[in-house]
Amino acid sequence: MSVSSIAVIVVVLAAAALAVWRNLKKGAPCECGGTSRGCKGSCGCCK
Amino acid sequence: MSVKIALAGNPNSGKTTLFNALTGSSQYVGNWPGVTVEKKDGILEGTKDVVIQDLPGIYSLSPYSLEEKVSRKFLVEERPDAILNIVDGTNIERNLYLSTQLAELGIPMVLAVNMMDVVKKNGDKIDFARIGKALGCEVVGISALKKEGGLEAARKALSLAETGRKGEVPHVFTGSVEHALAHIEESIQGKVPKDSIRWYAIKIFERDRDIIKNLDIGVGLMKHLEEHIRDCEKELDDDAESIITGQRYEFIQSLMSKALAKSEARKNKVSLSDRIDRIVTNRILAIPVFILSLCAMWFLAVSDNGPGTVLTDWANDGLLGTDGWHVPFTTHESSADGPYKNMDWEAAQEAYAPHAKNIEVWEGAYVEAFNGANKGKEGFEPIENVEGKLDERIAASVKAEASLEDEETGETVVDDDGKERRWTCDYAAYKASKAFPEPDPSDFGVWVPGIGALIATGLEKLGVGETVASLVNDGAWGGVATVLGFVPVIFVVFLFLAFLEDCGYMARVAFIMDRIFRRFGLSGKSFIPMIVGKGCGVPAVMAARAIENRRDQRMTIILATFIPCGAKTVIIAMFAAVFFREMWYVAPLMDVIGIAIIVLGGIALKKTRMFAGDAAPFVMELPAYHMPTLSGVWRHTWNRVKGYMLKAGLVIFPACVFLWFIMHFDWSFNVLADEEIEKSILHDLGSAIAWLFAPLGFGTWQDAAATVSAEIAKEQATATLGLVASGMDGASTAAQIQSLFGSMSKFPLLAAFSFMLFNLFVPPCMVAIAVTFREMGSKAWGWFAVGFQLFVGYVLALSVYQLGMLFSGGVFGVWTVVAIAADIFCIWAVTRKSKA
Repeated sequence: MSVSSIAVIVVVLAAAALAVWRNLKKGAPCECGGTSRGCKGSCGCCK
Repeated sequence: MSVKIALAGNPNSGKTTLFNALTGSSQYVGNWPGVTVEKKDGILEGTKDVVIQDLPGIYSLSPYSLEEKVSRKFLVEERPDAILNIVDGTNIERNLYLSTQLAELGIPMVLAVNMMDVVKKNGDKIDFARIGKALGCEVVGISALKKEGGLEAARKALSLAETGRKGEVPHVFTGSVEHALAHIEESIQGKVPKDSIRWYAIKIFERDRDIIKNLDIGVGLMKHLEEHIRDCEKELDDDAESIITGQRYEFIQSLMSKALAKSEARKNKVSLSDRIDRIVTNRILAIPVFILSLCAMWFLAVSDNGPGTVLTDWANDGLLGTDGWHVPFTTHESSADGPYKNMDWEAAQEAYAPHAKNIEVWEGAYVEAFNGANKGKEGFEPIENVEGKLDERIAASVKAEASLEDEETGETVVDDDGKERRWTCDYAAYKASKAFPEPDPSDFGVWVPGIGALIATGLEKLGVGETVASLVNDGAWGGVATVLGFVPVIFVVFLFLAFLEDCGYMARVAFIMDRIFRRFGLSGKSFIPMIVGKGCGVPAVMAARAIENRRDQRMTIILATFIPCGAKTVIIAMFAAVFFREMWYVAPLMDVIGIAIIVLGGIALKKTRMFAGDAAPFVMELPAYHMPTLSGVWRHTWNRVKGYMLKAGLVIFPACVFLWFIMHFDWSFNVLADEEIEKSILHDLGSAIAWLFAPLGFGTWQDAAATVSAEIAKEQATATLGLVASGMDGASTAAQIQSLFGSMSKFPLLAAFSFMLFNLFVPPCMVAIAVTFREMGSKAWGWFAVGFQLFVGYVLALSVYQLGMLFSGGVFGVWTVVAIAADIFCIWAVTRKSKA
């Protein structure tokens, strides 16, 4: 496997891991404009 | 020390709009009551320590609803430094009912009369000075929507807060009531804050249980006070609470008869809002108008040549795909010498299509023939493409059947003479096609390659291997692009909804639905979360908190997510584009089915002991119709579209990467080639549960994987379908998905419809499920909700597929019997006599 292939795999996996980590920390985003952890008032419907 | 200014007022009077204007926030503003259930804080722009507090809309300071409890608790116990009371200028008499109570709290208050632009337009005049004098506060006119006067009102409130200057508490009651109040005030001196002693006295007069309990008034004293209250009731021949309410309104009527000068022209004229309401809330026309508005929304979003579809096609193929797009207004006919001279881009593509097809099918046939001829030879390795391996002897004997298919529908193109475009391609035809030049898009205008094309080219230039390139092209980018490609559809739907909300129509929908719901023991109050749910199921479940009755609240949580949310809209859009392109009405039908399930499910649940009982009363003020502002509609739409796009990056992307890995690896973690996908982990996992969906018409491992992955986020179903169908036959993703459904069922349209129904009406995504569990209050109730939703989705899909096959193809089997039995059970559950 070439170095560029390994680099691409690393970048993709790192980006995916970063997204998962962000979701675990802040909650997954939802269409109301907030996150599953609570909109913090941004949608006005939940907290 | 910070200064606290509370924004208080009736529901839908414009508090949150003013809050956003004053604090620079972008809190959700809904044009129906009950949007704000909890208090929100923000700092007044241009200051560091002036806190503006947006309270839930309330009609009074009596603790009848959650909003009233929240607002009253804050105003009475935490006592802000000033109150900015927002009243709707177009409905001032009703709004002043709360103002008279706020004035009694003894907190410095500014009365901001909102919607003055509408008042002026109507030709009405309000005497602010007279109202201010009567209520003991300053009065200013504002227009929160147009950002006029709000800051001035806030500054006045700040000035009052800093000086602590209060007006005289208004005396709105008649002599005998005032006499009783004076006695009560005297008796509770020292027990309550001096400034709000009058408010407490009135509450005790009204026999407000919470206040009496909290003040710990002794039995003896209460008995003494009761005598005064009863004397008053006897004299005025009414109960204490009604006396207070009645006299407040009398006071307001008397005041407004002098302070409000209605335009002569309007006095005997029916307002525009009332005239519109005569049609849209009409007993007979209301529902057709509502369905018509849903149809209009979906027509714009998913009809064949509607803006949503046109832009989605452009986004999928051009902007995000592996093709590209011509910059508008730069396209022209080719002037380059060759076969495409004087042709436009479409004609050139059409001219080249048969040659591309010749190359594709002949090379496929050649590879097969070459591998077949050399099979078993020592050291022979099968080839995957023609490059450098063209054996003239074998090639001369290779012929392939070719046909031209429509990229969108996957159907064979039919010529004007009615014949399908099919032909046989031999080696000579292949050579001719190979020599035929491919049209260069840059000859026809300014050409911008698609992001997918740029990524693929970039990876090729980097020398990345085929498998890793597939991880990026099909997995990471492919999945995200599938979801992002539907942004135009989502945008059109949300834009339309934002317009309906902001102009005041959605509030009417709740009113219309209340009329229907009430017949079945449900409340229109339950429909507000369902309107919210059109955007996202999570706030829909949360919005059910506003329903005081726990039984109705739980029922609303169970039913609210049956309205297809924004994410489910993507599934509808994809299936409308792939299978029902000529049938735009399938999309609004999903909303209608959702509402029907809510009504029928509600009836069935109400007949059980768990949910039996009268519907909660639903009082709602219908806002006057007005033309929404561009910024308001844009903010609503953009907030939702932004959330959807964020989700594509933060949820869909990692999910697609994970799915790609388990689709391209076996259990021993060996990398699999495309033709070995059936050894993959995903294949095995999908196959293990595919049998569950076989009776519904989509029992392939690919469909099972798409269905289960949709629990991550509903739009993941479309991304997974795009990923797993990439190995299927077909010129485009649409054709591959058609091929996927065609491979399992003889009735691919029915199977696709069933798949769509199942994914729309089973439990929502895992985030919404988690919120459902939390809001239902216990695991048992959470499982009940999920079980009910699963049952509804499964039975619906089963019935449609099995009965559809029975009626359209005469297919009858065990599952047909199960479907009929399930339907009979559902009919019984809805029509049986109530147990309670």
